[in-house]
Amino acid sequence: MARSPQSPTRSSQSAESQPQESDEPVLDIDDIQGNILAGFNKDYQLLVALKLNDIPSARNWLRRILPGINTLAEVGHFNAVFRMRRARLGRDPIGLIATWANIAFSYAGLATLTSSQDADGVPDEAFKEGMAARAGILGDAPPPEKTDPTVGWVIGGTGHVPDVLLIIASDDADELAKALGRLQPTAADGPGPPQIIWQEMGQTRSDLPGHEHFGFKDGLSQPGVRGRISSSGSGFLTPRLLSASPLQDMEFSAPGQPLVWPGQFVFGYPATDDSAGSSGGPASPPALNPPWLRNGSLLVFRRLRQNVAAFSQFLHTTAQQLAQNPDFAGMTDARLGALVVGRWQSGAPIMRAPTADNPALGASSLANNDFLFTTDTPSPEFKPGQPRASIPFPTASADPNGFVCPHAAHIRKVNPRDQDSDKGDKFDTLTRRILRRGIAYGPPSANPLVDDGVDRGLHFLCYQTSIVEQFELLQTDWANSSNNPKPGGVDLIIGQVPGAQRQFELDTASGGSTTLTAPQQYVVATGGGYFFAPSITALRQIIAR
Amino acid sequence: MIIDHFDPPGSIDDFAADPTLRTNWNTWLSGQFDIAITSVNGFLTAHGGGSCQFYNPSTHGLPGPDLPHSSGDITWNGFPKRFSATGPGSPTRYADAEPALNAGQARVQDEYLEWYVNKQNNKIVSIHFTCEAWDYFDFLGKNAPAKVLQLYQQYVSPAVQQQDLFGADGSYNRLNKWNTELGAMHLTHSANNLFAEIFLAASATVRRQNQGVELTSSIPLINCAEYGDAARNSDPNIGIAVNGLAREGRMITLANPVGLYMAAFDGSGLTVNGNPAGGFFTVVRGAFPLALRAVYQLPPQLSATGLTVSDVKIGSKNIEFGGELAERITMHLVGAASVAQTVHNAPAACGAIQQVDTGASLTAALGSPHPPGRKG
Repeated sequence: MARSPQSPTRSSQSAESQPQESDEPVLDIDDIQGNILAGFNKDYQLLVALKLNDIPSARNWLRRILPGINTLAEVGHFNAVFRMRRARLGRDPIGLIATWANIAFSYAGLATLTSSQDADGVPDEAFKEGMAARAGILGDAPPPEKTDPTVGWVIGGTGHVPDVLLIIASDDADELAKALGRLQPTAADGPGPPQIIWQEMGQTRSDLPGHEHFGFKDGLSQPGVRGRISSSGSGFLTPRLLSASPLQDMEFSAPGQPLVWPGQFVFGYPATDDSAGSSGGPASPPALNPPWLRNGSLLVFRRLRQNVAAFSQFLHTTAQQLAQNPDFAGMTDARLGALVVGRWQSGAPIMRAPTADNPALGASSLANNDFLFTTDTPSPEFKPGQPRASIPFPTASADPNGFVCPHAAHIRKVNPRDQDSDKGDKFDTLTRRILRRGIAYGPPSANPLVDDGVDRGLHFLCYQTSIVEQFELLQTDWANSSNNPKPGGVDLIIGQVPGAQRQFELDTASGGSTTLTAPQQYVVATGGGYFFAPSITALRQIIAR
Repeated sequence: MIIDHFDPPGSIDDFAADPTLRTNWNTWLSGQFDIAITSVNGFLTAHGGGSCQFYNPSTHGLPGPDLPHSSGDITWNGFPKRFSATGPGSPTRYADAEPALNAGQARVQDEYLEWYVNKQNNKIVSIHFTCEAWDYFDFLGKNAPAKVLQLYQQYVSPAVQQQDLFGADGSYNRLNKWNTELGAMHLTHSANNLFAEIFLAASATVRRQNQGVELTSSIPLINCAEYGDAARNSDPNIGIAVNGLAREGRMITLANPVGLYMAAFDGSGLTVNGNPAGGFFTVVRGAFPLALRAVYQLPPQLSATGLTVSDVKIGSKNIEFGGELAERITMHLVGAASVAQTVHNAPAACGAIQQVDTGASLTAALGSPHPPGRKG
């Protein structure tokens, strides 16, 4: 029920256009893989890349491990129980653990196990070409004297693209190892079982759980996925906590969490209407050919190496220089980092904590993602019957000019929220959202200012139904651009502009203005790939048949 | 911002040979500002009063401090939104965005960027991009026809003749064959004109409300104020950015030189024979970030080997359409705003601002008569 563009009043929009519960589709929770919409959210996550050999052996292997591929129902229900226990205990429950696995296929892998015609039916050019072919588009720089940016990648470079990516995750490292033992191909699968060509463990930081290696709390902003988990009675996939939206023409499930139609992440469901001038209603899902693409999703994997020492030194040196400028007096490493990222290391958004970190705000899931950029953010109004403590943090004030949170700050670059972009309005931005399932790899740095030579970084993983219009657009059109979604510089975290310096504008409401130049890249892709994560049905009936 | 005169778009040197052109251009463009301001004042008077927050920097300039440059810099994607991908499985309609044209037909490209794909033997040999407004060429056609001919011969084809561009009465034909079926000298879409830019910006300075609630979102705002087409990247984005500055109580204008520009081109991932090919996009009039005209073609040493633009790959896919490069062009205009909280207008009701053509004689003498707004 798309809104009429001729009904512009906020009040009338709100009354007329908010979808009713029955408008939202019933998700096939027993057929969709669990990591897509629920997320594994484990402390250990192993990525296993495989190459196919003998096809019957591969199918034997897939049929054998099929019961071990976890569904949305399984993962979602466990996560719900975990949240219930944590709410009662006030801490993570001890002993409540699970071990999960999901699987995805590259274009070559899918074509081999089905047909080229079927693999061509996946409606995304980037998937068909693969990340290695599109690394240049993403802005990945080739090594000196080379033209291929993927030379040196540990996995997924030209000629080294896996057919299959297996994700195994657990709360317990020993259980994960056991699961790998059960799930990996063996000689019993046939004469030519798939071969593991690379594997690497991701692990939440033991010193700062939930933080990435630059020190910032990660994964705080995820869209709320619309859809019901049962055809009878109530039961949204994403709980609805609010009685009123901070933007009256856009519905939120929780503070700072806008609702997005599930077709943005899983094939076969209504997606957010992105037609010109639309107001974010559901768009009919495209016809799928082959039909078994339904309940599948596209997975992006990027192995991002982080140069912690270089980044920390950049912040340190630059903060010292800025502190000499009266317009930026008192600048510290931590504050400059918050300006570059848009959040303090605790996760507290700079929009709500403009001058100093507020760890309590960073830890508050009801507050740490609740802010808009162009209008004042009202206090959330929770639904009756949901007892909520008052939220003791100042709300965010409008910052359309980027004086509080710079336009090039990482979180503003990849999600401009209520601010229009070069591609459209806030509803268009909803169509760019992705579901991030990343985890750090490598040990934490003992001293962030010292280069210890250790390989550490992020296994960036995200799900969507259009790699071109979602992940790639965020990387190429926004993070890499000094002009988009708003002029103000390049995202100094993930933005990359081969052959040119990356610049970042800092402006203040009192007229101060300066442009920072980053002397090098702090995050570099060292592997990756584009994959299709099929439904359980497609796995059983088509791929492993 | 205070200026003593308006420069031509991109501060291009088209007026170098004739100083009176500069004077006439300043007079014409200043007149377009005044038409817009008079129109807004008329609307405000009829809707509860208030003072126009859009000003003419050449006649009523305001001292700074203006906002940082980036605050008035408004960008949008050059590929028409109406042909862009609309969700999973609904790909970009490149072919629909660049149908073959005949003389007399305008392009459907409505984001202030248009392009011409030059093919030989069914291979693309060059793609020509322009963001020069047609009313600028109307002005040149009326005031410097020889310059118009020279520009066509320089940028479109040496074969262009005077009679190809001008009618028997001397009037300039903007939809002539060299600007449509055989090339692109300047913009052709009816909405792609400078007056439309000025009128949109002026109209968007009016704060709006509907049923007592001030409108702060781009689509409801443009549907209320009717200053452009909600189905574009450009109009809603320009409107909400200007309106946001107006809601801060600022006085607003367009920075000199007034124009629509290519700000940047993203050549990442373009290759030919495995080597980088993003650098073959060349600005030939103006310069980034005020680029007026650009061409994408292979350098002679490559084209001599038989390679064409059709051999250039984006990722692993060969270029088939000009639109594949147009969507890598960031367009922009630059506004300027005074300090905040100098004006306190109440939001006005919905409805289009009617153009008050106080400059009819002016436009008839120097430029386009009856220029339409962005709704065109």
